[in-house]
Amino acid sequence: MSRNEGVMWAEKYRPQTLDDVVNLRDVIRSLKAFLRTPETMPHLLFAGMPGTGKTTVALCIARQLLGSSWRSFTLELNASDERGITMVRERVKSFARYGRRGLADIPYAIIILDESDQMTATAQTALRRIMETSSRFCRFILICNYSSKIIEPIQSRCAIFRFSPLQREDMVKYLMYITEKENLDLSNDAADLIAEFSEGDLRRAINILQTSATYEEGASINGKTVLRVVGQANPKQVQVMLSKALDGKFMEARDMLYDLMTTYSLSGVDIIRQIHKELYKLSYLSHEDQAELARIVGEYDFRLSQGANEDIQLSALLAQFAGFMKLKGGATSE
Amino acid sequence: MNRQMWVEKYRPKNAAEVMGNEEAKVSFIKWLKKKHKQKAVLLFGPAGVGKTALVHAAARDFNYKVIEMNASDTRTTKTIMEIAGPAVSTSSLDVYFLSIKGSLLLFDEVDGIFGREDRGGVGAIVKIISESQIPIVLTANDPDIQKLRPIIEVCDLIKFREVRPPLIVALLQKICRLENISAEKEALETIVQNSQGDVRSAINDLQTVCEGKRILRKEDVLSIPARNRGLDIRETLRGVFSAASPREARKILNESLIDYDTLLLAIHDNLPLRYSDPENLAAAYDVLSRADVFRGRIGTEEWRLLSYVFDLLAQSTTIAPAAFHPFNIIFPPTKFSLLKRTATERSLLESICAKIGEKCHVSKRSANLEFIPFLKVILKKESDQASKIAAWLRLDEESSNYLKKVD
Repeated sequence: MSRNEGVMWAEKYRPQTLDDVVNLRDVIRSLKAFLRTPETMPHLLFAGMPGTGKTTVALCIARQLLGSSWRSFTLELNASDERGITMVRERVKSFARYGRRGLADIPYAIIILDESDQMTATAQTALRRIMETSSRFCRFILICNYSSKIIEPIQSRCAIFRFSPLQREDMVKYLMYITEKENLDLSNDAADLIAEFSEGDLRRAINILQTSATYEEGASINGKTVLRVVGQANPKQVQVMLSKALDGKFMEARDMLYDLMTTYSLSGVDIIRQIHKELYKLSYLSHEDQAELARIVGEYDFRLSQGANEDIQLSALLAQFAGFMKLKGGATSE
Repeated sequence: MNRQMWVEKYRPKNAAEVMGNEEAKVSFIKWLKKKHKQKAVLLFGPAGVGKTALVHAAARDFNYKVIEMNASDTRTTKTIMEIAGPAVSTSSLDVYFLSIKGSLLLFDEVDGIFGREDRGGVGAIVKIISESQIPIVLTANDPDIQKLRPIIEVCDLIKFREVRPPLIVALLQKICRLENISAEKEALETIVQNSQGDVRSAINDLQTVCEGKRILRKEDVLSIPARNRGLDIRETLRGVFSAASPREARKILNESLIDYDTLLLAIHDNLPLRYSDPENLAAAYDVLSRADVFRGRIGTEEWRLLSYVFDLLAQSTTIAPAAFHPFNIIFPPTKFSLLKRTATERSLLESICAKIGEKCHVSKRSANLEFIPFLKVILKKESDQASKIAAWLRLDEESSNYLKKVD
């Protein structure tokens, strides 16, 4: 691995071969079997939370199957970025033009479709058709958070692999590996804290590590540094917004919500996920209240998936928070 | 022989003939007579209640020559300045040669000037008002419109209301007498009721049903289509928020011209102004959220579900009817202007996320969620490392500065 400076470590320390991957032993074993007889490899579906290695493994497969020309025959698409299924179809078509002979020594081209659970059911149906017609010269690796959001016909055409969050010891092991390569001084409690804050998400762990290293400018990283960095990186807006709502300052809370959605370009789903997380950090709430509020968050998360407008659903959620505390006789955050 | 429109034929000849709105009439005449503190006055109120009629009638009473511009003229800055400019700047020679007091500039229906082509029209009117040597009168239906703000600031305001039904009935009776038509009073009352205080539409309806008749009976008027002028957004919102029951609110929604998506957003925007009590607000938002869920279920097919959307909307605005206090309606929704204001920032953020996405194999969405928060902290440090990372991501100076600046 080159020691080029000034890059995001999440990218710099991305494993290049399946052997470098520290977790996912079972997944890796099965995939290696496919690599021995590439012709038998079906389309793949990788499901798991962020930072568990889905994209990394997909890229490793491409590299190992396609060799030095892997970049030319690998297409990375993002269902949440590309405008609809038309894009996928166009790109697949251009691969098809190479035909079998054009693909030279490689078995097929690889299309990595990230965040495929963000596609609508209609788009997925179209995708299924494309997968069928192109299977002669293409393999799809679909990546998603939840495989249940992928329609049945696609699931049945894929080998499904579940990527579980990293174990603490795997995480710490990888952090120590980077620490050594970068000549850092990382205390044990700092490593533990990073592992805790990243909740099995290795990308997040590495980002925290790099930010801490930049923060200390090469000096040693201790628990305090990590806490400070995580505090600064964690948008406080969501927590402040929650407290305002609980204090009955609905209008101020809603203004902050609008700010998150516009200035910070966060989607309704992303915001509600953060609300759910932050809820448990509000120490002035009893466990019962936290549970009840979480139930409300769940209800509105569900409505969000059904509704037409996220402004309305999230504002309605904030209003429930304000109403709930009023009923309880006021918040005690101040 | 006389095929003239009755609305024209029976237009008031002088201010005294203008019906109803006595208070407004007095204020306007006072304004016209005195050395007014503002050079311009805005007459506002619903259609057909006599705003423009009063201006013409009173101008005749006081020997003003009316120079009129209305919504049908294209109101770009250029045309406004061409037509109105000379009239207001030179004190007209007419004053000496004709025994008239001078000119009066009338901008009719100023709220109709918001087409795309009308950019700058408001500014031009404000400019004319500030430079004018002669009185300027403007009329509008809805003075609340945001874009009219600059005009309203330099005007006196006079409010007009719907004309009371008995007055309109009396007018219709007078017209019938002059047209030699014997009309049952009940027939005239039906017409008037239908007109909702709009004198002009009442006269038009009368002429329509009297066509070719000498006698007008009450069954003759049953054929006139309900003159549903439809409620505009503000009328709708005021109506539904002050309604005494969901049923009443539902009725208002039925009469509204506004589409359900706009209504959903507008009610959402105004809801906290309507309910100051958090418990009521929570209850109202719960119902509104369900209305939105139904809207989502409709998608592009299940239109029969629309009825439930309206039911729930009506319910959301009438949670505690007794606790209603008038408030200033917000429209257009605040989110719209916010989106506009933050457009540049958002596209900058998006381009940064795209660059991260390309380098780090993630979507723009995950770039925003998982990289941006840390990148901000790193760049704020302004270290050598930080600038190297910025260079690696190909962030230009603007992008780096943006990330350093935001929280």
